[in-house]
Amino acid sequence: MALHTSFETIEIADLVALAERKRDEGYRFVQMLCVNTEQGIDALYSFMKGDRLENYTIAGIDTATQSVPSVTGVFLAAFPFENEAHDLFGLNVTDIAIDFAGKFYKVAMDTPMTVISPAQKAAREKAAKIAAAKAAKAAGKDASADDLEAKLAGMDPEKAAKVRAAMEAKAAREKAESARAKQAELEEKLAGMDPEKAAKVRAAMEAKAAREAAQEKGGE
Amino acid sequence: MGKATVIPFGPQHPVLPEPLHLDLVVEDERVIEAIPQIGFIHRGLEKLVETRDIHQFIYVAERICGICSFGHSLGYAETIEDLMGVEVPKRAQFIRVILHELSRMHSHLLWMGLAADAFGFESLFMHCWRLRERVLDIFEATTGGRVILSAVCIGGVNRDIDDVMMKAIVDKIESIESEYKEITDTFLKDSSVKSRLVGVGHITQQEAEALCMVGPFGRASNVAYDARMLGRGAYGDLEGFEPILSDEGDCYARCKVRALEVNQSIAIIKELAAKMPHDGIGEKSKLTPAAGAQASSVLEQPRGECYYYARGNGSKNLDRMRMRTPTSQNLAGMVKALEGCDLADVPMIILTIDPCISCSER
Repeated sequence: MALHTSFETIEIADLVALAERKRDEGYRFVQMLCVNTEQGIDALYSFMKGDRLENYTIAGIDTATQSVPSVTGVFLAAFPFENEAHDLFGLNVTDIAIDFAGKFYKVAMDTPMTVISPAQKAAREKAAKIAAAKAAKAAGKDASADDLEAKLAGMDPEKAAKVRAAMEAKAAREKAESARAKQAELEEKLAGMDPEKAAKVRAAMEAKAAREAAQEKGGE
Repeated sequence: MGKATVIPFGPQHPVLPEPLHLDLVVEDERVIEAIPQIGFIHRGLEKLVETRDIHQFIYVAERICGICSFGHSLGYAETIEDLMGVEVPKRAQFIRVILHELSRMHSHLLWMGLAADAFGFESLFMHCWRLRERVLDIFEATTGGRVILSAVCIGGVNRDIDDVMMKAIVDKIESIESEYKEITDTFLKDSSVKSRLVGVGHITQQEAEALCMVGPFGRASNVAYDARMLGRGAYGDLEGFEPILSDEGDCYARCKVRALEVNQSIAIIKELAAKMPHDGIGEKSKLTPAAGAQASSVLEQPRGECYYYARGNGSKNLDRMRMRTPTSQNLAGMVKALEGCDLADVPMIILTIDPCISCSER
């Protein structure tokens, strides 16, 4: 028996009904946690039965305007987690069976887990930039590919096939040239390095290339 | 019937090694209601994932608790490995489980000593801790530390245990096994022990399941769940695994389950040591968790199931790391166990649940 985990998104209004359904199906309550995101607080509830660990997320809760119903009426074991979510994340949970009213944890400041540290902010900005760059690149590729396909559709089929083959050959040549240029640049850098460090870098590069090749093979 | 009175219990109390407070509503000498309060020592360790990278955080994870430190580093590493799809060599998985089972032995022996001390059996306390010292000697010989081991890395383990050392470990736990039998007999058969534990703090199987209790606390009420059953890592290589159960549901049953689990851990270590593969111990993974990727897993700590959750943000740091410890999950069960008990039994009931406040207040 191996553990099977799953993640699903639900709405606030479905939470108590979900907990009741899980209880009736023989699941037990495992935990509740919060994640502080740009869009608000994500509240994640976990239930388990046998080898199935199911996680349900309510995404982007605005703590200023929204509240979440307590599941302690269904699973009393949830009371420490709901009190914790209130004290550390500022999540408003209504009707908790054992409600400490903000005094569960003695913390030096209110809702300390909602403070976005400079390190986290920098990491999020970097991830957003990378995602935006990838999306822009993909959009550019798609647009040029669409234009080419439109032109080819209006051509004589035999000529279109020749053009397509020529384009593919050109792309493969460019890719190979780019790889060669990168390799030459790397060799130049390695030549100027301490031999031991150069060997380590070379080994890491080879491992990365092998991983990428394996991923490409897997993708095919 | 007397007048209801509220008696504060803890956070400083001779039976409590850690700060837990209870408001006990009593009538005469009977507890009507118990309201728990933790939160005196919350440290904000989960927040540190934002400033410590995924490899550095192992050292934070294992400092969550001094007793199950290895378990926390293992649970954290397994979750991050799931997050990034890292494969761990078999030998590393075997070493992880052997160290984890040794941790369970040391935790249960420590708890049994504390229990004996609480019911006034001083010599039994000393014998339990004497055997526990031998387990700590194994830790010191294999990892260099008696409690904080720093043995796990994401992708494997930091240090191998060679065949000579493995044989020495098996010899040592065999010597512990023979002496441990006398201790178990005393715990399970001595009339003075039974007079303090039998029928105290009773919880039925239905109540235990409704309150989602985990670990020896739940298994003592016949809840047939132990995360080791899921067969993760080297647990999947065992010939078979059955959780230790008892249907009595009282303090004696909780003591019995833990006492027998030490024997189970010894058997697991001996079986894995005999089957130890030789495919390497792995190395620190160089991967980075993808932005938005999330993973969750469970691990059977000495006190019960621990839940781990991680969410990546595309950098070497995580957006969120969560460790839900067994004590947090068992607080509702503890409240139930205390309802209707005699005031004099409160320390014993709390102790048989084995609450770990430093685990709960990460």
